[in-house]
Amino acid sequence: MYGSIRAIEYFLPENVLSTERLAEEFPDWMVAKIDARTGIHSRHISAAGECASDLAVAAAKKLFASGVCAPEQIDFVLLCTQSPDHFLPTTACLVQDRLSIPTSAGALDFNLGSSGYVYGLGLAEGLIQSGQASRVLLLTAETYSKFINRRDRSVRTIFGDGATATLVSGEQAEKPFLGPFVYGSNGSGAAHLIVPAGGLRRPRSAETAVETEDDQGNVRSQDNLCMNGMEIFNFTLSVAPSTVEKLLEKAGLALGDVGLFVFHQANRHILDHLRKRVGIPAEKFVIAMADSGNTGSSSIPIALKKATEEGRVTPGSVVMLVGFGPGYSWGGTLWRA
Amino acid sequence: MSRDEFLRSIDEILELPPGTLKGTEALDELPLWDSTAMISFMTLADSNNGTRLAPRELGACITVGDLLRIAKVDV
Repeated sequence: MYGSIRAIEYFLPENVLSTERLAEEFPDWMVAKIDARTGIHSRHISAAGECASDLAVAAAKKLFASGVCAPEQIDFVLLCTQSPDHFLPTTACLVQDRLSIPTSAGALDFNLGSSGYVYGLGLAEGLIQSGQASRVLLLTAETYSKFINRRDRSVRTIFGDGATATLVSGEQAEKPFLGPFVYGSNGSGAAHLIVPAGGLRRPRSAETAVETEDDQGNVRSQDNLCMNGMEIFNFTLSVAPSTVEKLLEKAGLALGDVGLFVFHQANRHILDHLRKRVGIPAEKFVIAMADSGNTGSSSIPIALKKATEEGRVTPGSVVMLVGFGPGYSWGGTLWRA
Repeated sequence: MSRDEFLRSIDEILELPPGTLKGTEALDELPLWDSTAMISFMTLADSNNGTRLAPRELGACITVGDLLRIAKVDV
């Protein structure tokens, strides 16, 4: 048995932060400039008290409502989040209960950002190929907005909240639908995309809540999401093209054999540059974040779902998925649709 | 990319009319020289000749001429 992506659904919170609203808050930034540089026109922001499990449950309910399978058929729940409801218990267990998934199902959280979907597919494929599960519900859910300082436009313009639900189902086939996989990790980059305080290493305190202003006028504290955009840019440039190369080599394919490329939707500027650097034709490259922003681990499945709806994923075609994010962590895989 | 072409690309990043920058301008006097412009400049350097700029190196630049130097543009 091999795992295959049978269906994807996503959920975005009701509250929308438009570029126009951001431009009102940051009058020295023009709407057109924000839109052009980020490729993002609106981001969805979770309400107070609306957490990762709420978004994940909403996405999963859409998946079940589509008729692709019923909750009682799920035998494993994988949930990727860096903004869990609690330190413990496991958010995936809360979701299992709220969705009435059988108590015989396994459920676990894993903590990754924008590389998380690729890792989730790898975990799901391992569970299915080894006979431990046959229908895996892979969830991604983030509420990064709760970490973001209102006066930090460097991240506020980019990140949005959201969740996705993917059914990875075991099917008899001669060769895998998913893979090969390429993974990478480099903790030396941890400081460049981090929420410094709030964990057990550095609990929140009056001291960590002190806000400081950087030389660009962005305000944040140690309790907030802190991103060094230039370091992240260099990291992306150093790992994304080589991940594409390694994947093609492992699969014995050429760039032209891939029908569609879905990279983590970081922002338009980075994606445009990566596409040109790797040599991918624009018509084979998905950019789909204008109305959702950078949703971390949800960005690849949201973009893949949109591409599918637009008819860009044809049966039998090869789709390349590449994620890269905090950690540093990165990964890539191929999906034969 | 020649020096003039490179300068015109920086004009474009900073939304200045083509031919504005000559190389002697102080970066802190250019209103749109901010973190997003810096990333655009890193993209330009990488696209031009594969020069990967360290953020610290970029942050230490004082003039447009310094940018040309670290981007290894033939001056």
